[in-house]
Amino acid sequence: MKSKGFMTDFFERNGLALGLYLVLAVGFWLVILIILPQLSMLDFSFRHHLPPPEMGGPKDVYTLEHYKFLVLGAQGSDASYNVVDLGVFARTLFAALFVTLLDLALCYPLAYYLGQSNGGGFVRVLVLLLIIPYWVNEILRAFAFRIIFGDSGVINEMLMSMGVIDAPLDFIRENIALYSGLGYAYILLMIFPIYNVIESLDRNQIEAARDMGSPWWRIHWRIVIPYAKPGISSGCTMVFMLSAGALAAPQILGGPSSLWFTQIIYQWFNQGGNWPRGAAYAIVLLSVCIIIVLSMMRLFKVKMGDLGK
Amino acid sequence: MKDGVSIELQDVWIRFGDFVAVREANVHIDGGSFFSFLGPSGCGKTTILRSVSGFLDPSEGKILIGGKDMAGIGPNKRPTALIFQNLALFPLMKVWENITFSLEVQGVGKAARRKRADELLDMIALTGQGDKLPSELSGGQKQRVAIARALCAEPDVLLLDEPLSALDLKLRQHMRTELRQIQKRVGITFIYITHDQGEALTMSDSIAVMRHGIIDQISDGEAIYDDPATPFVASFVGENNVFRGKVKSIDNGMAVVATNRTGDLRCRIGTAALGNLQTGDDAMVFIRPEALSIAADATDAGNHIKALVINEEFEGLAYHVFLEGDAGKEIKMSITNQGKARETSMNKELVLEFNPEQAIVLPFGELASE
Amino acid sequence: MKSNSPLIKIFLGLYLVIFFGYLLGPLVIMSITGFNSNGFPRVAPWECLTFEWFEVLSNDKRIINGITNSFIVGIGTVILSVVMGLAGSLVLIQIWPKLRSTYYTIVIAPILIPGVVLGISTLVFWDRINVMLGFSSDSFLHNGIFQTILGQSTFIASYCMLVFVARLQRFDTGLTEAALDLGATNAQAFRKILLPFLRPAIASAAVLAFLASFENYNTTTFTFGKFPTLTIELAQKVRYGINPSISVLAFIIVALTIIGALSFEIYQRRKQLALANGAPVGSVSGNFQLPKFMRGNPASIVLLLVALGGFSSIWFANVYSPDACKVEVREQKRLIQQEQIEAIKQQQLLRQQEEAQQGPDIFSPDNSLVPKTDSEPATQGGGSFGNVFAPQNLDEAGPESDAKEDAGGSEASTTNSGNSTFGNVFDPSNLDQ
Repeated sequence: MKSKGFMTDFFERNGLALGLYLVLAVGFWLVILIILPQLSMLDFSFRHHLPPPEMGGPKDVYTLEHYKFLVLGAQGSDASYNVVDLGVFARTLFAALFVTLLDLALCYPLAYYLGQSNGGGFVRVLVLLLIIPYWVNEILRAFAFRIIFGDSGVINEMLMSMGVIDAPLDFIRENIALYSGLGYAYILLMIFPIYNVIESLDRNQIEAARDMGSPWWRIHWRIVIPYAKPGISSGCTMVFMLSAGALAAPQILGGPSSLWFTQIIYQWFNQGGNWPRGAAYAIVLLSVCIIIVLSMMRLFKVKMGDLGK
Repeated sequence: MKDGVSIELQDVWIRFGDFVAVREANVHIDGGSFFSFLGPSGCGKTTILRSVSGFLDPSEGKILIGGKDMAGIGPNKRPTALIFQNLALFPLMKVWENITFSLEVQGVGKAARRKRADELLDMIALTGQGDKLPSELSGGQKQRVAIARALCAEPDVLLLDEPLSALDLKLRQHMRTELRQIQKRVGITFIYITHDQGEALTMSDSIAVMRHGIIDQISDGEAIYDDPATPFVASFVGENNVFRGKVKSIDNGMAVVATNRTGDLRCRIGTAALGNLQTGDDAMVFIRPEALSIAADATDAGNHIKALVINEEFEGLAYHVFLEGDAGKEIKMSITNQGKARETSMNKELVLEFNPEQAIVLPFGELASE
Repeated sequence: MKSNSPLIKIFLGLYLVIFFGYLLGPLVIMSITGFNSNGFPRVAPWECLTFEWFEVLSNDKRIINGITNSFIVGIGTVILSVVMGLAGSLVLIQIWPKLRSTYYTIVIAPILIPGVVLGISTLVFWDRINVMLGFSSDSFLHNGIFQTILGQSTFIASYCMLVFVARLQRFDTGLTEAALDLGATNAQAFRKILLPFLRPAIASAAVLAFLASFENYNTTTFTFGKFPTLTIELAQKVRYGINPSISVLAFIIVALTIIGALSFEIYQRRKQLALANGAPVGSVSGNFQLPKFMRGNPASIVLLLVALGGFSSIWFANVYSPDACKVEVREQKRLIQQEQIEAIKQQQLLRQQEEAQQGPDIFSPDNSLVPKTDSEPATQGGGSFGNVFAPQNLDEAGPESDAKEDAGGSEASTTNSGNSTFGNVFDPSNLDQ
């Protein structure tokens, strides 16, 4: 093979029309939809918050103002750090981590059960049942939890009518509603990656381990979990990223005192009207999430290609 | 019936990065002949086929089809049709659509295509099966559909990439005969790729034996079997007992080789080695199992090998006797089953002999690994 | 792997019950609330079986408008995402090996990037392009539909690409080579071989893309502009005031989902059955024999039951009238709580005064984000009883307020939820100010 340019080769292989379609569609997607908007947002986050007439004017210079604001708070404020926003940020990440672990604990047994069963009619029905909630609107799913956990929700009504409690429990303020709702929203994204991997695990391996007298927890610890690692990390990554970036569930189920970091971003955009600051916060959210995911992947020795299976 | 078109490979090199897949191939294939490339997997024979069909360009050298340089001509413009190893039948198309795909892309109308498909289905004895899907056919039927599809394009050259490897033994033997008949009927050039020497020997007019991208020998089947050009060919095609040693003397096309473990053996020098082999060279003697026999007189001046019978196998057509010579040298002898009582039995000490014309000596070289 | 220990079986059963209770319970409860005549979506106390919320829903112009917008956005997103995702997958299989992992990381990243970030970056980017090109602020670049489609397609195309890659991994490139060898041009090989092979994947990618677009909130909430999708409308309603018509909508979606999923399951079964019999799908559906076909197919039985249930409830809805029941419930409660009425009335008066004072506050944008329950508009209760019947108040006041709701009479529950004069407060454009 002569060493031809990649592009020449590409067009030779695909023909002109198809080649053009591929180049244009992928180019549009990569450049116009993915890369440029992100760069634009990055650039925007370093600019002052100016009224439209002053944009591009002499005052439109780069600044770290918004990042400083996130860390240090408003100038002249008493606290030396922006305790509120940083607190919200940290709580968002921890809560997302908690939701991820919750989902993992909840989903692993089922994924294992589905993956190792023989795929009979019962299992097909279970899989079908799994998919149904996912097709229902995200907002409606959160709304359902509000019906359940509200002051006059099903649980409170039930407990009060049974006389267990006198006054309604505030599940919303305690964030129980929020964690349940978030965990609920991403169950499917945890189950299916794990299920897909476990399904391909040779059943004989488990039989062999059992034959050698291994207790069930050791079978999981030494055989199933190491094998399912790509699926587990794929599921955890998705659930973590989506929980940390969730907006609908915190807005609907979040207590009045517990903001989610995305809600602060949302407020900068829609209420405060300070787009650059919102962009800066979004950049921080994005980069910290990516760092966390990448370091987790390195820690558990999982490759990027394993994601999205 | 078309006139066959000749194919010429001139100094063809094909490289993938640092890896040389084909090294300086020079091949002339006569028009209308059945030509095989024979070699173990990874020897570069499929690479040659792909360069002839146009899926890859040679790094150096020329490929001529019918005297015309094929450089820069894509696979869809070459007068070749390829039958893929896995057949590559289009799974979503009916059999008749598969067969006439080459007409479809030319824009031939449906009625005409259907008519042509029926003709070809008759030819491959699948009359009335045109509306099935490929997945509903048996292995042999798929095979024939693939051939019909390739022939429908009316190629000047049909390229076949181990098309029989997926079939079971009986069907494979049947398809060999059938392929050869089809080739004779249509009269076009067939280039056949295989690692199965039986296929190559039974069907081909000529065979090129390849190893590591090098073509060791191009001859007809008999010459490949009886007069191999290299130790590789000798050991790859058919079975051979190999004796290593040094050439002791040469006279008149015959050589005496002092073997390491079996004493002096006198045998014919291979045609390709005539003139190259000198006294004192490292050499290899190849004796086919069927060339060995039990010596009638163990004391005459002929080649004698002493050995102990350690195992016997009966294959119907022949007995295969496994013996141990001096210093543990393994020897295999095949005796045609003539319905008579055998003279061999386990643990019996025998003296074997062979005709010097039926054994070949070649310069020391690489053997085919099993 | 089957274990025979009864203890493990019990645990497994218990676990499955809890898991699927968690999974399906909320949907069931939400659906049930859609049939309770209570003005706030709740199961208990159960008042009367009613279908009035269906009517409320069908008269809700904002919901209808949201559905229209969702369909426009959905169709645009499906087209764009499938086109880009297909191209992305085809490039992935032939890109230089050295570039492959970088490329894969970039095209898969939108799935992991928080939707909020995608929405913001789309908004910021196109806003700047708009300024750069000197267009006015209501040019098509600023149009909510345009930005929403682009923003959603950014990550939905990645989903589509994964679907295509999974399918392409099973594609034998030999087929394309065979087509080329038989004289097809590249375009012909693509159209006649690869595209038919990918057709099922295109269908599932399109369905996936539409569903993902339909339910997207995080990205859309930044980009929708003047074209709120159904999800946006729902979010506004859920956050600022709800009546069970939303439960009814959820019920409809759940029902459609179940029917869709079951039909798909039946189709798959039939295909499997057909493959097992060695005949194409068409021939099996040709001699469609109900009893025989039902035997091996529990899903179809369920679907039949669902359909029967649906028809019977429609019939029931036409025959049944909840009015009698409502009157009865009202009477009962009135008797029980007669003593409280005086006190309640005083409370009402007090609240109405408060409401009158706080009225103007509703229009301030601050209020629109963090709902103050007591200043919520009384779209629900309406009439002379004013704000007392607002769902949030019910929520606050607990069970005793049910009586008041009923005292409001049946006309209260049939008022439109979103179209009152207060409804404008929640117009998305207000939020953008």
